[in-house]
Amino acid sequence: MEEYVLICEDSTEGILTGVYEAYQFKKRMGIASHDVIHLAVREPETQRLCTQYEQVQTDYAKAEKVTNTLARQLGSEAWYRISMALVSCFEDKADAVYHTIVLGLGQHDRNITDRLQEDCVQRTFRCARASDNELCHMKQFLRFAELRSGMLYAKIDTKHHILPFLMPHFADRLPADNFVIYDESTQTFGLHARYKKWYLMRGADFDEDRLVYSDVEAEYQELFKRFCDSIAIEARINPKLQMNMLPLRFRPNMVEFR
Amino acid sequence: MGDIIQSGKLSGVRPRAVSEQQSIVDAQHKPPAQTCKGNRPHGAPAQSDAEQSGKEIALRTTSTQTIMEKLAILTDAAKYDVACTSSGIDRRGNGRDMGNCAAAGICHSFSADGRCISLLKILMSNECVYDCKYCVNRRSNDVPRATFTPDEICELTMNFYRRNYIEGLFLSSGVVNNPSYTMELIYQTLYKLRNVYRFRGYVHVKGIPGTDPRLIQQIGFLTDRMSVNLELPTAEGLEKLAPNKHRKTILTPMRQIQNGIAQGKQELALYRSAPLFVPAGQSTQMIIGATPESDYQIMSVAEGLYDKFGMKRVFYSAYVGVNEDKALPSVQTASPLLREHRLYQADWLLRFYQFRVDELLSEKHQNFNVLLDPKCDWALQHLEQFPVEINRADYQMLLRVPGIGVKSAQRICKARRSGALNFDSLRKIGVVLKRALYFITCNGKMMYRTKLEEDYITRNLLAEHEKLPFDRDAMTYRQLSLFDDGQENAGLFGQNQLIRSG
Repeated sequence: MEEYVLICEDSTEGILTGVYEAYQFKKRMGIASHDVIHLAVREPETQRLCTQYEQVQTDYAKAEKVTNTLARQLGSEAWYRISMALVSCFEDKADAVYHTIVLGLGQHDRNITDRLQEDCVQRTFRCARASDNELCHMKQFLRFAELRSGMLYAKIDTKHHILPFLMPHFADRLPADNFVIYDESTQTFGLHARYKKWYLMRGADFDEDRLVYSDVEAEYQELFKRFCDSIAIEARINPKLQMNMLPLRFRPNMVEFR
Repeated sequence: MGDIIQSGKLSGVRPRAVSEQQSIVDAQHKPPAQTCKGNRPHGAPAQSDAEQSGKEIALRTTSTQTIMEKLAILTDAAKYDVACTSSGIDRRGNGRDMGNCAAAGICHSFSADGRCISLLKILMSNECVYDCKYCVNRRSNDVPRATFTPDEICELTMNFYRRNYIEGLFLSSGVVNNPSYTMELIYQTLYKLRNVYRFRGYVHVKGIPGTDPRLIQQIGFLTDRMSVNLELPTAEGLEKLAPNKHRKTILTPMRQIQNGIAQGKQELALYRSAPLFVPAGQSTQMIIGATPESDYQIMSVAEGLYDKFGMKRVFYSAYVGVNEDKALPSVQTASPLLREHRLYQADWLLRFYQFRVDELLSEKHQNFNVLLDPKCDWALQHLEQFPVEINRADYQMLLRVPGIGVKSAQRICKARRSGALNFDSLRKIGVVLKRALYFITCNGKMMYRTKLEEDYITRNLLAEHEKLPFDRDAMTYRQLSLFDDGQENAGLFGQNQLIRSG
């Protein structure tokens, strides 16, 4: 049986465009089932036999149509799960999400993301859980430093592209602050201006070494380090447990471990 | 003064303009007798007596201490307090002031002992007129003493919070002069933090037994969580080790807070903008291993506190020897961390798994099994209730299966609405099958051929080695943090709700 693979851009909009195109493609080619159509975020290294590969051009209008349909028909909870899955770093996320959407829309099931016995829902769940966990970790372990201008700056290094989900948290928390979160892995900046909306920015020239920190910054960092040292109970020192709770990969960007 | 904050150099956060009325709260060292007079409305500052400030008590603290020294001393003094959770309340930002709260709580770091750092956990002062035998800050100990001013605490909290170091403030204190005087200092600090610095993050305050009830009432409107330490599980133990504290004076403020919370909820139903009284609930803690109570006694006390006092949490603190005293275990005694771990596991069973203490322990069976966790132990004693059919059993029964946690049980209940589950999907859902397989069937079949026999299952369960948060060799017992619950409620209950049945 002939199979089809649509290759889309590795972004939320790209994959949602892919979903739109997959529905169109099925109609156009008169294909009986969605099962033979797959989405991928990059060209496979070895192509399979009896498989037709198609490129999908990202189209924001189409992506928005899909977004609206999903939010309306599946509800905000399912849509949140799906969008969390879409920002994860897993290769099969596009295909998993696509088939979850097909299943959900086909049966008008607003609880589609609960049906973990279905393979595609299962894979979507795994993707969403991974990025959700990292989002929680970043809310915990992100550290701001104050620049001379009074602006706050934080650098993060993420596996999953969770910056868009992280910004609302800090915008709600620090409405009166100008702050920037720089995601090193995607070279994306999240910007928030005092009492204004936040937005994302990409492609700016940036040299971290040129940042000038405020006079008190070093003192507060010292104070916090001192606090972290004093709070530990000597009789219970347990580096293994500490490592379980706070994995090493987060530590380079945290003041208390520098 | 060597004080960097007061010299204004360190001040990163500008407090709002202080109104005339608010500024008089600054006056410290007021004699408590005056401040508690009359019925002050909530939020109104205490009567001030600026002239008297500084003259009343001779604090041993020298003003030459830097903020750094004070922080080190007062953090060190606060570290034996267990509660460092920031959970229990969801409060969104107001779009103007700094701070919000997440119901799940957020841990911002983990110290070298693996415990979570969620709040700026400090004492206001480690001066203390009490002489509790187990406490490092007792009157008879010769330790460096320090006292923060309200402004110093506010500045530290605001600046740490802004840098995402902490989720809020945990403020406790040694007893300076008398309980009411101390709580008055704490009140001034909180008043300033909330109304001058406009902090909307989490605040946890210790209530000192014996404080004027009106002060507790006022502080309750400024804090998110309040806790009064039970200190020791029984009244006899308390009498022996904490001669200045009495069971009755400890339970009184607990009851007051409980009633206050209940009343607050009623008022909230009537008036939407009624001020919230201790909205994140109250908690307490007790020391384990300093006195000879059994696990059964301890858990019964905890259950009583949950049932009768509406506690959000009871914390158990394995005794760490800091003082030489003939009434205490020797300082060399290893901290009973495994015991503490079992107590927390059982505590979890009470709060989230709908167990009762009588099911886990009894007069005959006074202590927990060291080798097995309480849930496995229970299941092995009640094999007649197993195996459980995954696709049909109700939520309560699923929770009782070893290897199935709250999250897995919820996922199972949701998923099976649209079709049967098999062992493979169970594994992917997060069920620990190597433990659960002896107790469950899927569509009428067990996973492997196994015997439903106590000895056989015990042997197999022991063979796979329980994961403990510390080393097994008993000498290097370590702190558990598996349960140090940054993620208290939402972590377990997801964004939405607890599913009652399948």
